[in-house]
Amino acid sequence: MSQTPSQSGSSKGALRHEWVLLMVVALEWLYFNSVGPRFGTLENSFDILRHSVEIGLLALVMTPIIISGGIDLSLGSLLGLCAVVFGKLWRDGGFSPAAAATCTLALGAVAGGLNASLITWLRLPPLIVTLGTYSLFRGLAEAITHGADTFTNFPDAFLALGQERFLGVPTQAHLFILVAGVMWLLLHRTTLGRTVRAIGFSPEGARHAGLPVGRRLASVYVLAGLIAALAAIIYTARLGQARADAGTGYELFAITAVVLGGTSIFGGIGTLHGTLLGIAAIAILNNGLVHARLPREAAGVLTGALLLLALSGTVIPQLWNARRARRRRHPAPASPSSPP
Amino acid sequence: MSAPLLQLRQLTKSFGGARALRGVDFELHAGEVHALLGENGAGKSTLIKIVTGAHQPDSGSIALDGHRVGTLDPATAHALGIACIYQQPALFPALSVMENIALRLEPVSPGRRVDWRQRRDRAAALLQRLGANIQPDATVSTLSMPAQQLVEIACALGAGARILLMDEPTASLTQSEQLRLFAVIRELRRNGVGIIYISHRLEEIFSLADRVTVLRDGQSVGTHATSAIDEPALIRLMVGRELTQIYPPAGSVPGRVILAARELGHAASGVHHVSFEVRAGEVLGLAGMVGAGRTELARILFGLTPADAGEILLEGKRAAIRSPREAVAEGIGYVPEDRRRHGVILEMPVAENMTMAIHPRIFPGGWLRFGRERALALDYIRALDVKCAGPEAVGSSLSGGNQQKVSLARWLVTKPRVLILDEPTQGVDVAAKGEIHRLVRRLTQEGMAVVLISSDLTEVIGMCDRIGVMRGGTLVSILPGRTDAHAVMAAALGQGPMAGGSA
Amino acid sequence: MSRHFREISVVAALALVLIGLAFAAPGFFQPQPLLSLVTREAPTLVVASGMALVIICRQIDISVGSQFAVCGVLTGLLASLGWPVATLVPAAIAAGAVLGAVNGTLVAGLQLPSIVVTLATMVTWREALRWWRQGEFVDLPVKLQWLGLSQRTGQWLLVATALMVLVVLALGLRHLAAGRHCYAVGADAEAARLAGLRPRRVTFLAFVLVGALTGLATILNVLQSPQVDPKSGTGLELKTIAAVVVGGVSIAGGRGSLWGVFAGLLLLACVSPALTHLRVEAYWEKAIQGLIILLAVLADGVRMRKTGP
Repeated sequence: MSQTPSQSGSSKGALRHEWVLLMVVALEWLYFNSVGPRFGTLENSFDILRHSVEIGLLALVMTPIIISGGIDLSLGSLLGLCAVVFGKLWRDGGFSPAAAATCTLALGAVAGGLNASLITWLRLPPLIVTLGTYSLFRGLAEAITHGADTFTNFPDAFLALGQERFLGVPTQAHLFILVAGVMWLLLHRTTLGRTVRAIGFSPEGARHAGLPVGRRLASVYVLAGLIAALAAIIYTARLGQARADAGTGYELFAITAVVLGGTSIFGGIGTLHGTLLGIAAIAILNNGLVHARLPREAAGVLTGALLLLALSGTVIPQLWNARRARRRRHPAPASPSSPP
Repeated sequence: MSAPLLQLRQLTKSFGGARALRGVDFELHAGEVHALLGENGAGKSTLIKIVTGAHQPDSGSIALDGHRVGTLDPATAHALGIACIYQQPALFPALSVMENIALRLEPVSPGRRVDWRQRRDRAAALLQRLGANIQPDATVSTLSMPAQQLVEIACALGAGARILLMDEPTASLTQSEQLRLFAVIRELRRNGVGIIYISHRLEEIFSLADRVTVLRDGQSVGTHATSAIDEPALIRLMVGRELTQIYPPAGSVPGRVILAARELGHAASGVHHVSFEVRAGEVLGLAGMVGAGRTELARILFGLTPADAGEILLEGKRAAIRSPREAVAEGIGYVPEDRRRHGVILEMPVAENMTMAIHPRIFPGGWLRFGRERALALDYIRALDVKCAGPEAVGSSLSGGNQQKVSLARWLVTKPRVLILDEPTQGVDVAAKGEIHRLVRRLTQEGMAVVLISSDLTEVIGMCDRIGVMRGGTLVSILPGRTDAHAVMAAALGQGPMAGGSA
Repeated sequence: MSRHFREISVVAALALVLIGLAFAAPGFFQPQPLLSLVTREAPTLVVASGMALVIICRQIDISVGSQFAVCGVLTGLLASLGWPVATLVPAAIAAGAVLGAVNGTLVAGLQLPSIVVTLATMVTWREALRWWRQGEFVDLPVKLQWLGLSQRTGQWLLVATALMVLVVLALGLRHLAAGRHCYAVGADAEAARLAGLRPRRVTFLAFVLVGALTGLATILNVLQSPQVDPKSGTGLELKTIAAVVVGGVSIAGGRGSLWGVFAGLLLLACVSPALTHLRVEAYWEKAIQGLIILLAVLADGVRMRKTGP
């Protein structure tokens, strides 16, 4: 029919959702720009960017996980664990920041691999597995720091990653754009994305088609762990300190951004650009309310309300699909066949 | 004559824009088995769902014993003595047998106290009436499909159902289980129960039903006494044209051995010591009762449950098949029995479904090539005459037969050496059934080896060059094609009288 | 036997831990600290009972922590206005029920996925509370703590209340038709509908009930301290879900019992004091709780594999 082949079964509904969200973002921007004189400045835009990179990274990698029909509650805790391990390696282990960062990234991948192996090999429900590792990772971070230790006094060269600019924009923005670009390609232009989508719609269906279900699923969780470690390093650089409570609650913000971006919690449906818009909508709201001299807490309330609104708008067609899927156990409603 | 037990007048029902029923009249008398016949999508399932209250009609009237009923929801339908045995049992898999029965029989009133002893006794009594050896405490998910169906019937019996709807109840049953079911149905009929019986199998309808109503495109095209009509006439009514020949003649000469199994087994699924060969251009049928291990064997060959004994040889070379992926790489394709859950991903477009098994080949390096994919899909849509809005149409928008063709196309694009078809024509309308049969013939003429699993004996006999019969998890004999049905049945049941159904 | 495998294994694990402690750290079994421990967990037990109910219905409620905070602050404010306890209890329960009804309406009425709905309400209630109170503690009238009784009597009273709620709910789930309806809806909502049940109503009521129980739990909390912390209840959702899962309730709905949840909660609650008595740093608590959750779910997984799909 159309010139460009569709990405997913329900791309039409998803597309509409993303346009609406784009308008919400634009309206937010226009409104805050009109009430807060400093809101529209370049400096403030960079500020928004800096503050949303870590949660944004988690949301980017959370997207394929949710599309696969899973969820990862452990990413915020993993961020905390990675931040602490990074600080420990640098301060007590005598590692250079670069070496410590490499080890931290490896740790993130291994931690993601723990989730992945429990979920794919043993076929345990992701919600519970990552609830367990949510507690485990945070607990390890607390055990390493004895609950109170804070790592500070990182070298300036390292802090530049979180606080300075490179080529005119905040340094971490480059990393974010790189990750976002790679994730977009993976999700929308490769067989990995196609397979993850198929798994989200029907894991057994994907297996019967000969798709490498376990391997693809595992790679998505390992990738999430790796990027959570990257987020931990950026977080540490931005704040100049690493503590065991780093990233508390980030997983929920990330999930919020993903779902706000139109990804179905039932799996199968969702886009990366939707997630980017979801991140933008939340980040601008958080920052703009301060400029509009409104209490910061309003951002949370509005985010919650926005999420419910977005859901009500998108879930109806999905609900229809899910119902049809549920009817598979019973005879399907008949539709008239074309005359022979 | 007294008022009919159930009378439907001018029922209409639409889903979105699609009109599933366009003014259907239907009558059911007490003590009657009334068959409902029609191609897929003719409106049978919708009619059933209206009678059970799962759907509300857009217009038309429903009368019981001559009294018109207003809206019929599941609760009222249940209270009026209407019960339905679905194709796949609609039980609660996580709950026990007795609780499943109790949920249908006990009043809904939430404040009531539950009497567990009574629940157990009642379940045991009902199951005994059916001659079923099922523990009331057993969790339903641990039961076989026929056993689950018996639990369903026990529910209906216990409810004292006056109207019993059966939607392809024999689809997953084998001959002996069918016979037991038929005995139960006849017993119910003697007790004055009205039974609406849906089936694609004409011989069942003729042996069981008193009258038959044929639906076509959401309309009733006639009700006849089964004694006053014959098979060709019924088929004519269903499709609106005469099908000259049901099974295309075999035209190929089997060549070299493609697939061979040696002492193949998988302990957990009960398959053991299976040995056979399939040649190029040959259709090997697999007959047997449900639970005989046919689907389980297919799953072993396709790597879904890898073998833990014996070996698989492909063109003489030993093949280690530990996952569907490796099976695909070895040139094995598998069209599964449950098309809607395993055969196609309903939410995804036709094109994506068709290319799903050849990602490495059509998308080198993992990069999607939309143009290539679309072209390939268009080719196969044309070749198999898939009726759909285009390669972008999602699977759920297709009728059952067309979904089956998409499921077939997914494997044809892999150019397999061996194609395993598991109940490929189950729940598929007559026209699509014929097309699938002709396609199988064409593939074998091109040199493909085909393994055809079917519970439809006439299909096995009509289509296969040789017929392997399975019983108790192993292949008990291999008969030549065009055998008579009795020989196949005798082999499937074992010699002499059978004590119940051996698992 | 095999039907109750999970419950039995949790109780066995709990017994093992307690026996181990009896040898390694007999100090753990002093009555007063033990009573204090159980009293601290009493509100969690009440919320966990409700959470189990929701999960049996194949839903989840991650907003209980925020509901807990909102109800707590409301109760505290009413108490400081001089409301007697007899009116505070129904007020807290009603407030919780209303919050639960919001979730219930969205989940059952609009058929939205519960995990996202309650994620949204969790954020909304929590931030609205922060906006309103700006993090201010609510001071409670002095005579409210322990109902003006001695600490010991008060503690016994609270524990008894929580246990009563547990027993009533557990019996209701097993022996009332309404309880069995929860299992049916959780096992298969569509089949439940075909059997004449009303899955949406059951789901709605489950959310209302978990809200009401959360309201009741705040009373059990408020009576223990001189102030109400507006941040109370943070992490309560994950704590209760953990107890429910460890206790053998299937996250896929339709399976599990409150006795298992009770044992699961005790097992998780034992970790922290046990660590203290074993002279292990208390910071390991979360890590060990995480391991317990993973072990529980591993046991489920291994069992599932054995019995086959």
